[in-house]
Amino acid sequence: MNQETLIGLFISVIEFGTLLYLAALGETIAEKSGVLNLGVEGMMAMGGMTAFWVGVETGNPWMALLAAMIVAALFSMIHGVAAVVMGADQVVSGLALTILGLGLAAFLGEDLVSKRPEARFESVNLGPLSDIPWLGETLFSMSALSWLAVVLGVVAWLVLTRTRAGLALRAVGESAATADAAGTSVVKIRLIAVAIGGALAGASGAHLTLALAPGWSEGTTAGRGWIAVALVIFGAWQPGRVLVGSLLFGGLIALEPRLQTFGVEVSPILLSMLPYLLTIGVLILLSVRSRNRPSVAPAAIGIAYRREER
Amino acid sequence: MMNMRLVRRDTPLAGGQVRAFVVGLLIALLFGAVLLILSGHSPITVYSKMFDSALGSPRGWSATLTRAVPLGLAGLAVAVAGSMGMWNIGAEGQIIAGAIGGAWIARIAPELPGPVLIPAMLGAAVLGGAFLALGPALARSRLGVNEIITTLMLNEVAIRVVRYLVNGPWKDPEGNNFPIAPELPEQSALPTLFERANVGVLIAAVVVIGFGLWASRSAWGYELKIAGSSEKTAEYVGISMRAKLFTVLVLSGAIAGLAGGIELTGSSSRLVEGVANGYGFTGIIVAALALMRPSGVAAVAVALGAVQIGGEAIQTQGVPSATSNILQALILFGALTAAVFSEYRLVRSAAVPSGAAA
Repeated sequence: MNQETLIGLFISVIEFGTLLYLAALGETIAEKSGVLNLGVEGMMAMGGMTAFWVGVETGNPWMALLAAMIVAALFSMIHGVAAVVMGADQVVSGLALTILGLGLAAFLGEDLVSKRPEARFESVNLGPLSDIPWLGETLFSMSALSWLAVVLGVVAWLVLTRTRAGLALRAVGESAATADAAGTSVVKIRLIAVAIGGALAGASGAHLTLALAPGWSEGTTAGRGWIAVALVIFGAWQPGRVLVGSLLFGGLIALEPRLQTFGVEVSPILLSMLPYLLTIGVLILLSVRSRNRPSVAPAAIGIAYRREER
Repeated sequence: MMNMRLVRRDTPLAGGQVRAFVVGLLIALLFGAVLLILSGHSPITVYSKMFDSALGSPRGWSATLTRAVPLGLAGLAVAVAGSMGMWNIGAEGQIIAGAIGGAWIARIAPELPGPVLIPAMLGAAVLGGAFLALGPALARSRLGVNEIITTLMLNEVAIRVVRYLVNGPWKDPEGNNFPIAPELPEQSALPTLFERANVGVLIAAVVVIGFGLWASRSAWGYELKIAGSSEKTAEYVGISMRAKLFTVLVLSGAIAGLAGGIELTGSSSRLVEGVANGYGFTGIIVAALALMRPSGVAAVAVALGAVQIGGEAIQTQGVPSATSNILQALILFGALTAAVFSEYRLVRSAAVPSGAAA
């Protein structure tokens, strides 16, 4: 194990952490408003396909990112209309969104499979900072999208905890009827939260096809969307803890192809189960703990709100 | 939209769910046609090819019915859990666990005669599926842990277990380094019924119909109905909610496991990573479209089976296989919309009748 392999590992941790954090942060915001969206994997695929497509056409990664976020946000509105406006079951609607997104991305992206990437997010050179040993080659060489993920995380935390809009969003997620009585539009806030979740899942997909593994093929999301859903629980619905979880689970993914290099004789496939098992463990811990104090999960999650049934 | 709102109808429109399904199908076909035209295909040619290959011949019907088996059993598994207000999102993983259980029996006792081996493999499949549901069932009934996430997570675990097995300890030494398990013994194949259909179709039909009858006629089924609709009533008449939640979720897993066993012994010659092929997820769509009723599950499973078989047939014409997944998801969204409008109507805010507005 030498310095180069370790630095390679850290770079990979940041890359996978970014992928997971963007999507998980979006899902956190949606769930905070009381909407469980199991469509992350499908929104990620739609975003990834769109980003790669626009990148090939324009050669501009920022245009590609913007397009991916808009398309994924619009796509998430299918879940928004079904589950929020019409009050359909969130589990069913979200899963159908994943099936639809994976199908649509594969269908629309069929001609993209053979294309070479024309746009990608490269690492950002921060001048002297990037020359620092270790930190310079890892943290201070992150791609713009990784920086964006960190900034968005801080903004999300500030908005959720320090602003009126954030309070309204959390109120809607805890008790929709109370928020409604206080004059907050439940449907509007939930739709916005779902759209933000979609846009961030789209950004995560863009990171996948423009930075992490430039290119497009069916199945390229490889179940990462489910890890994002897991991370929201693992991070107890808090942007900061979700970031820590993203780096931890990103680290596990980054270790998979490197286990042999480090001389560990365990199948990388078995290692890849850990995020899911850890999430189950955390879920059990949270529910044991919440016997004595209030649950950390948004109380209204999964419950459709229709005013006349209040 | 801002000035419109949904108001509950005094009485829901008649024929609700069948109509909703038909509307959903029409919406899906319409959207699908737009996609096909945009990608340079004739929707009429594609749809008629789909219909012909899925339902236009005995051979097509045999393939459709064979596909309806895992979809129907997964749908029943989801519906069984749904009767207690639970979501088993883990049918995909339980199908895999079932297939692993079946393959394990074939590994340790390959010399058994078919009439012994097949039931043993199916039995192990049932146990495998039940085993994967055991953790979520215990966590839900003992600790109140939400089963949606636990079952969902175990899908990903099960996929990796089968990936590990066919890449490692169970890898076929004569498989040209492909990640596949060795071929199953010949006598483990389910007997053929007609054309491509095997006895699995009968087994699934018996299970789905049998469960429907049992749930509607037996005392156990009646208890289930009470427990599923009112926890308080259930406890008042002495039904243990804990026991019910536990049994129902394990039973749900067992049914999905059976689907895995039938896939293995019926449609596949060996254990492969893709044995569940998304059937567990489609099963959720099946159960939702069937409103969690066993009778509906059978009908919807055949309909979606036809969409899938048709979708596989049009690949030869250069149409992506993803088409059938798109159609299935759109049927669900279309039906959800239609179902809402059979219970609600859209009115302008100004015209809200008094009493409906809070």
